[in-house]
Amino acid sequence: MAEIGHGGKEIRERILAPEEAAAKVRGLPRIPVRSQIANEIIDIAYGWFCPLEGFMGQEDVEAVCSRMRLKDGTVWSIPILFDLSQEEVAEHGIKVGDSLCLTYHDQPMAILEVEEIFTYDKGAMCQAIYGTTEEKHPGCARTYGYKDVFLAGPVTLVNRPVINPPFEPYFIPPLEMRKRFREKGWQRIVAHQTRNVPHTGHEWLMKGAWLQTYAELPIEKPLVGVLVNAIIGEKRKGDYIDEAIILTQDELKKAGYFGDHNHMTSLTFWDMRYAGPKEAVFHAILRTNLGLTHHMFGRDHAGVGTYYGPYDAHRLLATVQDELSITPVYSMNWLYCPHCGEITSEGLCNHRDEWQKFSGTVIRSIVQDGVKPPRLIFRPEVFELVLECAEKYGFGSPFVTDEYLAKRTPVFTIPPLQA
Amino acid sequence: MTEERYPINIWVNEERYEKLKAAGLADLCEEMLAGMKVIRVYADEAQKNEILRRFPTAKFDSATTKSIELLPREVKDRIFHKVVEKKSVEILGEFLEED
Ligand SMILES: [Zn+2]
Repeated sequence: MAEIGHGGKEIRERILAPEEAAAKVRGLPRIPVRSQIANEIIDIAYGWFCPLEGFMGQEDVEAVCSRMRLKDGTVWSIPILFDLSQEEVAEHGIKVGDSLCLTYHDQPMAILEVEEIFTYDKGAMCQAIYGTTEEKHPGCARTYGYKDVFLAGPVTLVNRPVINPPFEPYFIPPLEMRKRFREKGWQRIVAHQTRNVPHTGHEWLMKGAWLQTYAELPIEKPLVGVLVNAIIGEKRKGDYIDEAIILTQDELKKAGYFGDHNHMTSLTFWDMRYAGPKEAVFHAILRTNLGLTHHMFGRDHAGVGTYYGPYDAHRLLATVQDELSITPVYSMNWLYCPHCGEITSEGLCNHRDEWQKFSGTVIRSIVQDGVKPPRLIFRPEVFELVLECAEKYGFGSPFVTDEYLAKRTPVFTIPPLQA
Repeated sequence: MTEERYPINIWVNEERYEKLKAAGLADLCEEMLAGMKVIRVYADEAQKNEILRRFPTAKFDSATTKSIELLPREVKDRIFHKVVEKKSVEILGEFLEED
């Protein structure tokens, strides 16, 4: 059965059989890539980025910047680029028509067939995608950090990544994910985008979205699931460590706040651009390819600072809704109301003067101090697990430190190529 | 006009609550977020800036609570001890001088 992804195109994995791989890369110029590019190679090869088959050429980039589309008209909101310096291009004598062996941590990872070599005005790209050219915007900073020349062309994985513990059960690429959804019998699946350890405000975001997604479906059998899709990419100091994020999200199911019949946790490799509305559209595309039917969007989805209004993403999504095969589910914030004595939605409760809102910073401060919060705020199983992760993976801290960045086990490694 | 003051939230678990009770300070606790007990030690503008300078992991939560958060755990432990020792939450000046 053909699996149809974003843009109506069939999702096909671009991965060479192990017996072919060694011969195919022999003699090719070897170009090392950094983690962002390695993440995007995986996304291309397994179909997260369908219909892209490789890194973008100039016409696609221009269309993305000017019209939020690929050159063929398919909705696409963020340029996917492969960069090299002039010196590297010269040193390897790279020209159109060449094939390159992309290596990660010295191991062959993928082949890039160079169809185009071009340059692009990074400031213009920033303005188009992020709505600003300020370097303090993390997406702009990433764009300015690209080297000067872009290489475009199809990418084929030659060597599957080995996902290291404790992440391996959560790496579920699009084709496999769609199979799992069918096995579960889910007719609708709503995506929860996260980079957080869940407090009950997050838990209720998911529960609320599940109810919204369930809507008119019959209730005799469970037909709707929540997929927590954690974004795993570059970490910043002070973020929760990846291990704590993925394991605690799954713990909500394991500890029974959800169940196998309605909840699943997985990861997507992606370095956040914080592009707000444009990133919301991009997340919708990623999750379409994963086989989801619905996607949660809260206020200021994937935003940063004060660059985007709280509903800008919702408005942008509305402009392309007919072309996306995923339905947005908009979430209001959840909070604790002492009068109601429960977690409630700001759209429901009217004891406004009594509301106790969740502050991410305050919750992190509680976690940092290791003082167990009330179960209405933070599930005890989740709290215990965060502390455990801090010891086991975080060098004593549940938050990213210099030591964690230097010594952590990478989420994936590329093994030596079979001879 | 009184100068704006910014709290440092010292979270109070059972063990700390017992110590506060023993010191006759249980009244200092306030409740925040579903009954989570907290002692608030207040900083003035200059003290706030000094704390943020001295402890770079600390953050001022300007959006929701106007509090100083994410101080290292051991710093908070020492602030808590100071509160118990002095039987007061007005200890930050002294704490910063001694630290
Ligand atoms: Zn209420």
